Amino acid sequence: MAAAAAAAAAGGLRRAGWRLWRGRAVVQCQLSPPQRALQVSAVLRRVSDEQKEPFVSSSQQQFDSHPTDHQPEQEPQGPRPSYTGQGGQESEDYESEEQLQHRILTAALEFVPEHGWTAEAIAEGAKTLGLSVAAAGMFHSDGSELILHFVSQCNTKLSELLEQEQKLVQLGEAEKKPTDQFLRDAVQARLRMLIPYIDKWPQALSILLLPHNIPSSLNLLTSMIDDIWHYAGDQSTDFNWYTRRAVLTGVYNTTELVMMQDSSPDFEDTWRFLENRVADAMNMGNTANQVQSTGEAVFQGLMGAAVTVSNAGTSRAVRAELFLFLSMLNVSVLFLPNLEDSVKKELSFIT
Amino acid sequence: MEVAAAAVRRSLGQGRPLRCGLGLRGRWPVPAGGVSLRRCSTRGSLEGVNRPVIDRIIRVDHAGEYGANRIYAGQMAVLGRSSVGPVIQQMWNQEKDHLKKFDELMVAYRVRPTVLLPFWNVAGFVLGAGSALLGKKGAMACTVAVEESISDHYNSQIRTLVEEGPEKYKELLQVIKQFRDDEREHHDIGLEHDAEAAPAYSVLKTAIQLGCKAAIFLSERI
Repeated sequence: MAAAAAAAAAGGLRRAGWRLWRGRAVVQCQLSPPQRALQVSAVLRRVSDEQKEPFVSSSQQQFDSHPTDHQPEQEPQGPRPSYTGQGGQESEDYESEEQLQHRILTAALEFVPEHGWTAEAIAEGAKTLGLSVAAAGMFHSDGSELILHFVSQCNTKLSELLEQEQKLVQLGEAEKKPTDQFLRDAVQARLRMLIPYIDKWPQALSILLLPHNIPSSLNLLTSMIDDIWHYAGDQSTDFNWYTRRAVLTGVYNTTELVMMQDSSPDFEDTWRFLENRVADAMNMGNTANQVQSTGEAVFQGLMGAAVTVSNAGTSRAVRAELFLFLSMLNVSVLFLPNLEDSVKKELSFIT
Repeated sequence: MEVAAAAVRRSLGQGRPLRCGLGLRGRWPVPAGGVSLRRCSTRGSLEGVNRPVIDRIIRVDHAGEYGANRIYAGQMAVLGRSSVGPVIQQMWNQEKDHLKKFDELMVAYRVRPTVLLPFWNVAGFVLGAGSALLGKKGAMACTVAVEESISDHYNSQIRTLVEEGPEKYKELLQVIKQFRDDEREHHDIGLEHDAEAAPAYSVLKTAIQLGCKAAIFLSERI
């Protein structure tokens, strides 16, 4: 019995060592982050000063309970459920790997303005939590997870903010904003969260565009835009759903880029740019309206011309000429308002 | 062009009155094959709901009702003034109600509609008008084929939801069961009106049902 336990423990330690060595191959990334993190963090806790005994024993039982785990390591596994349900032997302040990662990344954020979105910032963050700097090894070396964590946090903050505003409106304590103002305020609120990190944000943007980050960053972007439209009161169930989100995504991205190189006080230029883009977006609907009614008017005009011509009863050549004349007249009439405007503009310097 | 202009025109109008916000959706970057984690949920109807499954169900059902609407519209365009006009009109009205219900569910569960809606718009109308051009029996045959497809599809959805947990999805199950019964009724009405006497009935039916299966497959995913 004891021998078996010892053998299992030894086997567990051997596997742990092997897995640690594998866990170093960050680039390969065969293990899913929580799984890799489990092994590395188990070692980290041994290295750190706090609570060596309970952690050694808790990591032991974890190895014991997954004797066949090293088999499926080749396949990427989905996020495991938290390990807090293992035979009631875990220590009381045991936390899941994800929560630990969360804490480290949150702590790392305050070091970003100094070190950028790098493993150094993560290491500093880990230090403030009393963990070894090797904790940074849990994450990608390019700082992707730190950036994604930050973006996710900002999106959550934005959602909470919008939810609060909505509550106030429902309670009648605040006025319901018109759509363009709502969008402007929401995008501004979200972009203002970048201000503390604005110097290093271009670096973050380029990292988010790396191929292995694109699914996650796209996911975060689309869910944020969807949230904004949801709280703006969008209830479309047809193709408008896509049009609106595409337009707002464009507005958000361009405003973000403008913000990167804006040096005006409190980013006034950026907010003015945002206002103009949102106004453009609102106008897009009207313009499409005008285009359609213009098209219809032209069509009807041509039909009328055709009828007139067919009733004219003259020779074919004359009829063709008459039709051409009427259609040109029809089309030029449409441009009269523009003509009026441009003439006025030319003469404006006189009046 | 008209469809696109109409789409853009309506897309940026004033925000309509707000309904209750339904849940916050801050998402952790999705790991490989993973499930998106909810940071905080605030509304009961989205708690503990299997989002991917519900997403698909509502999206495909919405697309289906939309398509059925367009099919009946096409049939009415051709046969509106004939003797089966009132019958088709009545079935069309029921489909309109179904669509309205799914619009509400779509907003309540925050599901995105399928990208292919403009396509189903045209394809549905063409199918309806085309089958109606084959005569009244042709239109009825189309109705029978489509409604049979839809009832089978609703049945499998009911099975899925019951497996997931009938208590969690009580409202949705009720709606789908009701609609399944309505579609079965349409199917029977079609048969009553000599659908089987339509030209090339079995070929027509098979072709339409194949099209329906493809439409369902695509709408669930895209």
